Amino acid sequence: MNLANTAWELLSELPTQRLDEVAVIDGARRCTYRELARRAAGVSEWLQGRGIRRGDRVAVHLRKSVEEVVALFGIWHAGAVAVDVSGQWTLGQLDYVLRDCGVRALVTDAKRARELAKTELPPDVQAVLVAGDAPADDRMDTFADVPSAPRAAATRVIDRDLAAIMYTSGSTGLPKGVMLSHQNLVLGARSVARYLAIGPEDRLLSLLPLCFDYGLNQLLTTCLVGATIVLQAVPMPSEIAKTIAAHEVTGFAAVPPTWVQLVRWLADTGTRLPSLRYVTNSGGKIPRPILEQMPEVLPGVDIVLMYGLTEAFRSTWLPPEKFAKKMGAMGQAIPNAEVWVVDPDLGVCGPGQQGELVHRGALVSLGYWGKPEATREKIRPCPQLAHLIGDEPVVWSGDIVEIDEDGDLWFVGRHDGMIKSSGFRLSPTEVEEIVHRSGIVGEVVAFGVDDDALGQAVHVSVTPLQSHGTVDIEALERYVRAQMPHYMVPRAIHERAAMPRTASGKIDRPRVIADACEG
Amino acid sequence: MPLTESRLLQYLRQRTGIEDLDRNTALFSDGTVDSVGMVDLIAFLEHEGGCEIRDGDVTMDNFDNVSRILAFLTERAAE
Repeated sequence: MNLANTAWELLSELPTQRLDEVAVIDGARRCTYRELARRAAGVSEWLQGRGIRRGDRVAVHLRKSVEEVVALFGIWHAGAVAVDVSGQWTLGQLDYVLRDCGVRALVTDAKRARELAKTELPPDVQAVLVAGDAPADDRMDTFADVPSAPRAAATRVIDRDLAAIMYTSGSTGLPKGVMLSHQNLVLGARSVARYLAIGPEDRLLSLLPLCFDYGLNQLLTTCLVGATIVLQAVPMPSEIAKTIAAHEVTGFAAVPPTWVQLVRWLADTGTRLPSLRYVTNSGGKIPRPILEQMPEVLPGVDIVLMYGLTEAFRSTWLPPEKFAKKMGAMGQAIPNAEVWVVDPDLGVCGPGQQGELVHRGALVSLGYWGKPEATREKIRPCPQLAHLIGDEPVVWSGDIVEIDEDGDLWFVGRHDGMIKSSGFRLSPTEVEEIVHRSGIVGEVVAFGVDDDALGQAVHVSVTPLQSHGTVDIEALERYVRAQMPHYMVPRAIHERAAMPRTASGKIDRPRVIADACEG
Repeated sequence: MPLTESRLLQYLRQRTGIEDLDRNTALFSDGTVDSVGMVDLIAFLEHEGGCEIRDGDVTMDNFDNVSRILAFLTERAAE
């Protein structure tokens, strides 16, 4: 049994008989727990030699690889805070994150390091560790410079300390860093290991990025029980199936766009994946026709639907035995988390009622880095629950859900118009700001439209700069493609002569959205 | 009009932020394009190339770089 309280302890407290088992498979490479712990301690010694101390932020910006795993555990060994930035993000987005949370060291690949060497690094970044060849730069070293027989002791932290910051889109426009404690990470791993019954013999396929809460959880759950994680960087169904077969993978997690492709591909080719014991979905709703096909193309596999927010990791799960009857439901609270549905008028909701989902427990995050006001808005006491838990803060999901007669929850919609596309949450304001900056349109409204492949697709409705003019749609498309991360780029641009207004003079957003959807 | 190499390169350079991406740059085996990028790339190819891409077509042999994608599209058009 692994009694870890902190992320580093997931390795150091692993029973010794597991140490020579394979922890990570990355293509042809294998890394045992002993090797992983040694390499991570090396990265830690390098970081400490470069002046990194307990609580300092260290960013990881790599493709999915053994090095990414080593870097994360190295950061935790040093008592520092891991900030994993998606390998898909642009240099501009990386720069934003580095400055936002005052990152002091960065681990990245040779390509990014070359680009960074040409620009001015944010002032706080004092050292860069490069996977591959490093440019000639005093601040940059390679993994070859990392001590191979490290002697540094792990820096002592406790479970209340900050362990990681995950960047997610927020309603104020720019990405916000969700602060996760060691307790959040370790208890998240325990909860998932328990309800999915993950054991040392399991082999998990890691397709989700480690910068995504559930992607990181797969790694930590693996380490908690001493199982094996198989890294999968290539998202093609044919390649996923190949890896699952080659390594006899038993557990696999994905988001809806991947399920759409994989299920269709399995149906098309007749391929079956007999090694699988369970699969999970997270990050949105799988379209109904795909859900219905899943038991056919995944015979005998437990299908587990999950729901969660980065601010509280996971909240609910639908046990696989309920799948056939309740396809598409969110289910009920996961172990060691408590979930309520509340409404300002109804109070705590019961069967047949709708309200906002709130989450209580040890998975509640520490809030947003450097944004106390946004934190207070998201994580605050719930008056409807005062008689039960007093003023203990809970996470307000912003999701409206309905409770059925068995107490299972069903997703209804977003409370505040946030768009959830391909597993990314983004605010309409964020999209609108960039469209505005193009100088091509007069007014703009952004919104989400249900989409089979993406969950929701981003649409915008725009008006010309001058009345009676027209919008240069092509120029706008070029502009947004160049300025926006791919998941934000509108899938459709609707043009209209003018925006309808409410009595108070605000743009009538529901009208705009309804018109665009009809038109 | 069939999709040209320069149009496809332009799309991918813009999309990935890699200015020196060329016809032989690995798109998937290097982790340059992720699952969301793949959905978008397929939609782009179907729209601009005017052909339907079946789920079974999306393999490394057909898609791992611009040369392979163009060869696949040519073959598909000849069918």
